[in-house]
Amino acid sequence: MVIDKTELPALRYGNPDTKNKGRLRQAMPPAASVARKWGSKLLPPVAAFVIFIGGWELAGGLLGIPAYLLPKPSDIVRAAVENAGNLGVSVFTTLSEAIIGFLFSIVFGVLGAVLLASSKTVEKAVFPYAIVLQTIPIVAIAPIIVIWVGAGANAIVIISFLIGFFPMLSNTLIGLNSTDTNLKNLFFLYNASKFQTMWKLRLPAALPYIVAGLKISCTLAVIGAIVGEYIAGIGGGKGGLGYAITVAATRLQTPYLFACGLSASIMGIGFYLIVNYFSRAMLSSWHESEMRTR
Amino acid sequence: MLAEQATALVNMEQLEKVYPNGTIAVRGVDLEAGAGEFICFVGPSGCGKSTIFKMIAGLEQPTGGQLEIFGNSPHEARKQNEIAFVFQEHTLLPWSTVEANVMLPLALRKVPKPERREAAHRALRLVGLSDYVKALPRELSGGMKMRVSIARALVSRPKLLLMDEPFGALDEITRQTLQQELLNIWRQEEGMTVLFITHNVFEAVYLSTRVVVMTPRPGKVSAVVDIPVPFPRDDTFRTSPEFGHYVGLVSQALKH
Repeated sequence: MVIDKTELPALRYGNPDTKNKGRLRQAMPPAASVARKWGSKLLPPVAAFVIFIGGWELAGGLLGIPAYLLPKPSDIVRAAVENAGNLGVSVFTTLSEAIIGFLFSIVFGVLGAVLLASSKTVEKAVFPYAIVLQTIPIVAIAPIIVIWVGAGANAIVIISFLIGFFPMLSNTLIGLNSTDTNLKNLFFLYNASKFQTMWKLRLPAALPYIVAGLKISCTLAVIGAIVGEYIAGIGGGKGGLGYAITVAATRLQTPYLFACGLSASIMGIGFYLIVNYFSRAMLSSWHESEMRTR
Repeated sequence: MLAEQATALVNMEQLEKVYPNGTIAVRGVDLEAGAGEFICFVGPSGCGKSTIFKMIAGLEQPTGGQLEIFGNSPHEARKQNEIAFVFQEHTLLPWSTVEANVMLPLALRKVPKPERREAAHRALRLVGLSDYVKALPRELSGGMKMRVSIARALVSRPKLLLMDEPFGALDEITRQTLQQELLNIWRQEEGMTVLFITHNVFEAVYLSTRVVVMTPRPGKVSAVVDIPVPFPRDDTFRTSPEFGHYVGLVSQALKH
């Protein structure tokens, strides 16, 4: 995925005008150099991948390890293809649960942080309990959630949300509380209202922190969804990956188990890449953390 | 309106600020600033010049004496939106374009967009940055960022412009260029009063109609030196014997 960061107008008022003298755009690199760059960047990991997978396949065949102990890559692929329908449903179920949980943790995490940051008193009163809430292992409270909302998608979404919520809340809060004093003075001197200071200064200034929270929460949301399915998953042909994994494990369908695990990892990576892309899009124009460095 | 013009824009009487820990930041400051003046406060660090500015801006409360701006309290005066500020740091929003940064004071007052834009373009023209409307702060040099910061202050056509060591972080060549531009702008914006903090005696003499010399421990005004040299001033003034004479006067007062 080639991401050209300069083409993403981020948080900029008005439309980006390439003809404008003020914009110091970097020239697009010629295609050949792009190919070379990707060649030098991609070749080593691809080569390592091929060697590793080839070695695994070969060793599995030569040593005659049974597939229920350690399936060969070809076994895993075969299991995935044979069960493509089930796997697809599982992936889709987990994906939608993780996305909804993640969206909830973004909305409530950011809103909660804005609320806490608006008043020092509220922050002092409530934040310690948010930390306490976080230290409770999610697996320990998951059964309670099942008791409350019943097994199934609702409980799973809540578990996924709870796991991703705290990193969003604390990161956003730190961001909102680390606004530059000079800028805060400036807003005060120009008679900005509390809302204006929050919306035009503190939230945009907290964006790098919010993005850091997103990066943590997005992978946690996938983990949360799968853990939720272990505990609150229901079958009936609509089970998610977590449910599929438990079933495959009890039936010793190890190749399919591997296929499910692999799908879950790919989902996590995909989530992370998407968030990373947004992070670049929003920050590359002004924040050091996402600036293009060559 | 006429009566208002007759009274001083800024009026300090026996102004005093003592911090809770007993440190006397400033004591016994008497000063009147009229419309259209350019007054520099010069003195070493700790002489209370920044404290005076903070009190004018309403960031600090005086502990004694009187301070009136436009005949009002600093708080009331700030609500009239006729005071503007420039700090040593450019304090630009890094995610906003030059144009949006300059429009900020008007945006916070909910001035309609077309009006905002027009005012911003006028201010950017004054500082010579019309070509950089859509640029982001990080794409500009230090001197250009300071120009944007000045444009942001000018955008609301303030009656009173407070500048706290605005050129302190710039190199000498950029500093002299900006001094010249600032004088030109001040002369164009008729009736605008500038209060300017600096620790640079040459800068103070070059810019001001009056130099307020301050000394520390406790912070107080040790002398007010009039610089009755007509404007426009240019580089020939910097090398004239007259300039040396006033620099001498101010330096003398600093030693007291």
